[in-house]
Amino acid sequence: MYRQPRDPIRLEVFKHLLSSIAEEMGVVLRRTGYSPNIKERLDFSCAVFDGKGRMAAQAAHIPVHLGAMPRAVEVCQERLRLEEGDVAMVNDPYHGGTHLPDITLVSPVFVKSEGASRLCGFVANRAHHADVGGISPGSMPLATEVYQEGLIIPPVRLFERGTINAGLWDVVLANVRTPEERAGDLRAQIAANRVGVARLNELFARYGIADTQAAMEGLLDYAERVMRHTISTLGDGVYRFSDVLDDDGIDPGPVTLTATITLRDGEAFVDFAGTSPQCRGGLNAVLPVTLAATYYVFRALAGSDVPSNSGCFAPIHVTAPLGSLVNPRPPAAVAAGNVETSQRIVDVLLGALSQACPEKIPAASQGTMNNITLGGWDAQRGRPFAYYETIGGGMGARPDRPGASAIHTHMTNTLNTPIEAMEQAYPLRVRRYEMRGDSGGAGRTRGGDGILREIELLADARLSILSDRRSSRPYGLFGGEPGKPGRNLLLRGSEQIELPGKVSLDLRVGDVVRIETPGGGGYGRPSDEDL
Amino acid sequence: MLRVGVDIGGTFTDFAVYDEAAAALTTFKLLTTAADPAEAVLAGLGRIAGRASIVHGSTIATNAVLERKGAKTALVTTRGFRDVLSIARQNREDLYDFLSDRPEPLIPPSLCHEVTERVDAYGRVIVSLSEEDLVTIAEQLPRQGIESVAVCLLHSYMLPEHERRVGEKLRALGIFISLSTEILPEFREYERMSTTALNAYVSPLMDRYLSRLEEGLGPTELRVMQSNGGSLSAKQAGREGVRAILSGPAGGVVGAWHLAKQAGCRQAITFDMGGTSTDVSLLDGGIQVTSEAAIAGLPFRIPTIGIHTIGAGGGSIAGVDVGGLLRVGPQSAGADPGPVCYGRGGQLPTVTDANLCLGRLIADHSLAGEITLDPMSARHALERLAQQAGLRPDHDLDLAQAAALGIVRVVNAHMMRALRVVSIEKGHDPRDYVLISFGGSGGLHACELARAVGIQRVLVPPFASTLSAFGMLTADVVKDYVQTVLLPGEVSAADLERRIQPMRVMAQRALGKEGFAEERIVLEAALDVRYLGQSYELTIPFGEGFRDEFHKLHSRHYGHSEPEAQVEVVNLRVRARGLVQPPALATVEEDDADPAEALLERSQVVSSEGQVREVDCWRGEVLRSGNRVAGPGLVLYPDTTIFLPEECRAVVDRHENLVIDV
Repeated sequence: MYRQPRDPIRLEVFKHLLSSIAEEMGVVLRRTGYSPNIKERLDFSCAVFDGKGRMAAQAAHIPVHLGAMPRAVEVCQERLRLEEGDVAMVNDPYHGGTHLPDITLVSPVFVKSEGASRLCGFVANRAHHADVGGISPGSMPLATEVYQEGLIIPPVRLFERGTINAGLWDVVLANVRTPEERAGDLRAQIAANRVGVARLNELFARYGIADTQAAMEGLLDYAERVMRHTISTLGDGVYRFSDVLDDDGIDPGPVTLTATITLRDGEAFVDFAGTSPQCRGGLNAVLPVTLAATYYVFRALAGSDVPSNSGCFAPIHVTAPLGSLVNPRPPAAVAAGNVETSQRIVDVLLGALSQACPEKIPAASQGTMNNITLGGWDAQRGRPFAYYETIGGGMGARPDRPGASAIHTHMTNTLNTPIEAMEQAYPLRVRRYEMRGDSGGAGRTRGGDGILREIELLADARLSILSDRRSSRPYGLFGGEPGKPGRNLLLRGSEQIELPGKVSLDLRVGDVVRIETPGGGGYGRPSDEDL
Repeated sequence: MLRVGVDIGGTFTDFAVYDEAAAALTTFKLLTTAADPAEAVLAGLGRIAGRASIVHGSTIATNAVLERKGAKTALVTTRGFRDVLSIARQNREDLYDFLSDRPEPLIPPSLCHEVTERVDAYGRVIVSLSEEDLVTIAEQLPRQGIESVAVCLLHSYMLPEHERRVGEKLRALGIFISLSTEILPEFREYERMSTTALNAYVSPLMDRYLSRLEEGLGPTELRVMQSNGGSLSAKQAGREGVRAILSGPAGGVVGAWHLAKQAGCRQAITFDMGGTSTDVSLLDGGIQVTSEAAIAGLPFRIPTIGIHTIGAGGGSIAGVDVGGLLRVGPQSAGADPGPVCYGRGGQLPTVTDANLCLGRLIADHSLAGEITLDPMSARHALERLAQQAGLRPDHDLDLAQAAALGIVRVVNAHMMRALRVVSIEKGHDPRDYVLISFGGSGGLHACELARAVGIQRVLVPPFASTLSAFGMLTADVVKDYVQTVLLPGEVSAADLERRIQPMRVMAQRALGKEGFAEERIVLEAALDVRYLGQSYELTIPFGEGFRDEFHKLHSRHYGHSEPEAQVEVVNLRVRARGLVQPPALATVEEDDADPAEALLERSQVVSSEGQVREVDCWRGEVLRSGNRVAGPGLVLYPDTTIFLPEECRAVVDRHENLVIDV
């Protein structure tokens, strides 16, 4: 049984106060951001930290940042010893970041007390920028080193005691393809932190430093209790599962992920021993990404209203061999670790947990984000363009109901770009956007169907696709059939050319790209008429 | 001539009757007849002698969607896009729930038809409309038993001709047709399609219901409340039912705005706390309208009063979660079984039980005398909760009271968050606002809430429980028009004016048809503007300096603006208001300050700080204009109670509002 919190009422009140700060930061960022990744796809996170850098609240926007931000705060504080008015910036995947397009800003919160200023907390936000330079537009290239993926920003001060570091600002903007848009996004991020700092200051002023800190502490304990309770209901034991990613786009695949989960006395020990060594292509997931995917799985099992704070993740222990796909050494390329490998980590963990608590775990969902980038020169509008989209697919069948169709699952939840908005902005025309019928796996309950999307080019463009589950299939559970793998096709005249899962190539006006996304796996043995 | 506002609620159907000749307002309530709401409406109107003009807040459209009982509806869309409604925006509602599902689309895939045609983003025809396809669809629809059709083609807001041709062809079938360009010529296909589908789904029901009312009523003017706070004619409502879909809470906000103006206040936040939910809305020199509304997860981009609703109310149930925190809601005991103190089988303590235990509700003087409250059963339930939560008796408070105070604090935290969303998060400082409290439970929380967010004044109107029906009497006739243009921000005001002019003419003509003389028509033009590259627009009044206005508003909402950056004009909007003369309520001469006549027996109440205090109580209906009362205390009305914490000072103003300085 759980330990009683000292003040169950005050804590509940503070839970609301803290999460509304994180949420308000998110409103500012979303509404004023320029990158489609931020404004349409909510590929950002905002969080509030205590003075020791422990996350006190994170707004729910995208799971792939779950629990990955404390590391950024820790690294920035360690390296920079932030002072009042400073804003730190970082995207280095090997120093607190995830992949280069995710730029994180960290601001310390100093509170005046008895004439002195005391460091009482931090706020941070992380946002996926549409381009941070590197060898291809969109900065999600098929690369073999992180240096090719874009500009690397180690923890640095963007603001020093309230004054912007203009030189740094210029360096960043000089290294990206769409500097105005980047400037707009960074300003939105700065504004979001400014709001967060002000609100957290108000909170300390109103409730006092000691009480506020005690409440933050209490909420960490609370979330930890909820997580321990959750884990204790899953069924103690040792569970192992393996699955694969098709390939890394450079070398032939497949790439194996293996996880062994030990559940014991309310704690989870997750060991990725047996996972392939780091690869040459960008599938490598830095440790914060691996942690985020792991935390996501347990967080989802804990119910939706537990605060996502550091306490929530305390009973989860991850071991990831250094030099492996899930904890690479620099300078391995990492762009796709976030978007593809993170999905497979979830698949592997759910596969293992399905042995512990079959009634709570769905079959595999599409297991990819189907990242597609088209970039080039838009002659009609007289400007360069870079379109980036991720496409939903089939959700795995649930024990008691089918998987949803045409939906984003697990580590992402990004909105699609409206077709009318896309055609207004880019030299592209969508020819079909529909459900990919019969792509979900059969089962007692069926997997959801994927999506079929055809895009016609109205200008020459470079196409990049980062997708997976093109040869491997989303698994079914307990006799359910796997979902259909996805397909990438180029339609040129009457030709139909099958494209690999990960590809970069130049296309011509009139070419049509068709993406068919995977279906979800089925659950339970299908009856005869379902087959 | 009599003017009548009718508001159908879950339990009661409220009537507000204003006799123009006598300048007299009366209100009454009948039990709602859920199976056929028209029954109670007709019964109530039957009590009213003489010719009446009626404004009706109808839940027909809302319930049709919530209960999925709308017309059998088909969709006609561009070839290649039949699944847009099912795919929606491809996101899921809950990030961390494997079992959560998206709402099913109103129109199942089997009833979505494709027609060969294509228009591009500039309104050029790429593929001409296939007449053959239309013939096929026209044959299929009757076989499918279709009652209503939504037509939404890609980029039709740039070129409506194809939709119109589809409409022409299908109208020949004698079924209801809704064209997206008629209801919402605005870009973003999913939202436009969803709006059109909702309209096609609810309008036939609305039309049938209103026809039945009109038959029952004989010759009278029947108007329907819209979600935007205005009314529209019954005829239009039968074609554009989606405009009424969130009209439920609109009457209350409109009524509150009227009372606020009357009390000389231009900035207010409405706070309508009911049994299962609480609605808050910000008034800043007028009612705030948004076009980002949704019902049951289905979006519609029809102008709608910006109301933020949370699932916490008097009936919200309190409990202890697995981590040991005291939680309130979102589960609600509703009206049945209701709170424990109703004695109808409810076992779990609610906010109402907590207020009763704290002495803020008085057992023998509550809830319109309909229900006898049982304090002992509430106390037992609260004690059980306190034990679960590990609470201990605290100073003055016994276990049940400690739990009760906790419940009130937690539910206040929920509502504070709602107040912050509509004010602070949109750049408004609550200290500049007055809180207008209505709804059955509002008065018990309003003062504490106001203090918590820095609001200095609370206003409780005299007919708080029928404010919505009253509000309908004050609602103007409103028509909203929108057109997507997507023009670069350098566009001249003159050019914009040229594009807006036809919309104005259309609006003016439409109100003229409803009998409004020119001097009673107000036309307001507005622009949806964003920085080029953003995805969200802000709506600003149209004028020469619209760019500056935009930068200013952006800065206010989000804390920064980019005066150097390029802007984009996304949509043109025209709102036409046919001005309605609001009821001229008599003002009352101020009496002296002494409320002695209203004084009741003193009573024990637990204060905000957790002390048991003996406090004054007053009978609300007996308080007269000019009377002053001070907290701690209770003001008891037949249908609601106001809790005045320590140091609150209240006065009854000339309009019989209780005005509380907190």
